[in-house]
Amino acid sequence: MVSDQLIYFVTATAMVFLGLGAMSFSRNLIKTIMSFQVMVFGVNLGLFSSSFGSTSAPALGPLLSYSLVFFSIIVGASVEAVGLAIIVAVYRKYGTLNPSEIRRLRH
Amino acid sequence: MSNEVALLSSAVLLVTAVVALYSKRISVSLIMLFYSSLTLGIIFTLYGSVVVGLLHIITFAGAVSVLMLTAVLMIGESKLEMNASASAVALLGALLVAVVVASYVLLSGLPGGSTLANNLPAAGLFQFLWQFRPWDLLILLMVFASSMVVVVNLFSREES
Repeated sequence: MVSDQLIYFVTATAMVFLGLGAMSFSRNLIKTIMSFQVMVFGVNLGLFSSSFGSTSAPALGPLLSYSLVFFSIIVGASVEAVGLAIIVAVYRKYGTLNPSEIRRLRH
Repeated sequence: MSNEVALLSSAVLLVTAVVALYSKRISVSLIMLFYSSLTLGIIFTLYGSVVVGLLHIITFAGAVSVLMLTAVLMIGESKLEMNASASAVALLGALLVAVVVASYVLLSGLPGGSTLANNLPAAGLFQFLWQFRPWDLLILLMVFASSMVVVVNLFSREES
C-alpha cells in the first residue's frame, strides 16, 4: 500500500523538475514565470506533505510545515509579481519577450 | 483519507501543469495554471490545513492569475504564441518519467513506502537515510537541485 505522503512527494518532485525543464527550454519570459510558478507549486506540495509522516517518520511537524508553506506562498507570489512587472517593462523597451533577442538588441 | 483522492488530485495537478506549460495558446496556459493552483489549494484544505489552502487559492488563483492576465492583456495575446518543439516535449516527457521513477525509488525509504519499492536493492540505504540522516538527505537534494539550476543557466546562455 502506497502512502499519501509518497504519492505527493513524487508529484512534487515531478512538478519541480517539470518547471525546471520548461524553464530551460523556454524562449518566452511569460512562460518562464509560469514554469517558476509550477516549481513553487511543487515545493509547496512537498513541504506540505512532509507533515503527513507517522510517529516514526522523520517528517517536519505540522506547524513548521504549514509555516514553511505560508512563507513559500508569500515569497513565491512576490517574486512572480516583481517578475511580471520587469517583463512588462522589458517588453515596452525592446518589443520582444525572447531572451536571446533581448540580449541581441541590448548590444 | 483514501489513496484514491491522493492519486486523483496528483493526476489532476500534473496534467494541468503539463498542459499549462506546453500549450501553444497563452490563454489556455493561464486557465490551466488557474486550475492547477485551485487543485493545490483544495489538496491543502482536504488534508486539514484550511488556512494555508485558502491563502494559496487567494494568492495564486486570485491575485497572481489576475496579475498575469493583466500582463498578457498589456502585451497582447497575439505576440505571445508559444511554440514548443516536438523534440523538446518528447525529451521533457522522458525526463519526467525518469524523475517520477527515480523519486519513487528514492522516497521508498519513507515509512509507508510501497512493498515493491522496498524490495529494491537500494531501498535499505534510503530507509537508513530517511530514518537516521533526513537532514543530510535534504542537503544532498538541495545541492543536486542547485546543480540543476547551474545546468539550466548554462543551457540558457548557449544561444548567445
